[in-house]
Amino acid sequence: MIRIDPDAWQVMLRHAEATFPNECCGAMIGSADGDAKLVRQALPLENAHIGSQATRYELRPEDLLKAEKAARSSGMDLIGIFHSHPDHDAYFSETDLKNSCPWYSFVVLSVKAGRYNHAKSFLPNMDQTAAEEEALEAPAA
Amino acid sequence: MIPTPLRQYTDKKDSIEVAGASVAEILGALTTQFPDLRKNLYTDEGKLRSFVNVYVNDEDIRYLDKHKTAVASTDTVTIVPSIAGGR
Repeated sequence: MIRIDPDAWQVMLRHAEATFPNECCGAMIGSADGDAKLVRQALPLENAHIGSQATRYELRPEDLLKAEKAARSSGMDLIGIFHSHPDHDAYFSETDLKNSCPWYSFVVLSVKAGRYNHAKSFLPNMDQTAAEEEALEAPAA
Repeated sequence: MIPTPLRQYTDKKDSIEVAGASVAEILGALTTQFPDLRKNLYTDEGKLRSFVNVYVNDEDIRYLDKHKTAVASTDTVTIVPSIAGGR
């Protein structure tokens, strides 16, 4: 289960709505105790995809490295990644799966007509062939 | 430097000192010391998984000499995930 603190959640929602109709992306920082994860801080990152960002996102490894270092310096860990699906539901697409990393939780935010709609979290497997849904506990929008 | 989720395979250590003159030697020594790390980094065919990037200091080894990239005793080798997607 992944739980997201209210402040972090607001940062994620604002980023997803501000980048609409493009996809947003970012890092989730907090702590993990086995399968129980707590997101205490969300870090918006630049969508580095070259081409239409309405349907794609890409994180720069350098940005992830900075996020990892920032997390460690504040005594926390990089535990997940978030991105948005503008005008589509929150599901883990084939593109999401083929470009995922099994080490993290992936929260997908559905943004419809520029407003947050709903979200889900996923855990992709090592071979990038399947992702199981992870229970997500987030504050009311 | 080891990404947080992989520390369960490295006795909770977030950085490890290993000897080696190249990235291949460093990763070889690392995965020999921590065998469970290997399946997270390499496919069964021995190829680095597509979601694994390796940096020497702040440089991606894909733009250096890949696995043959030379490593000095003062260098830091970092494992960084590769992540993208879209609906």
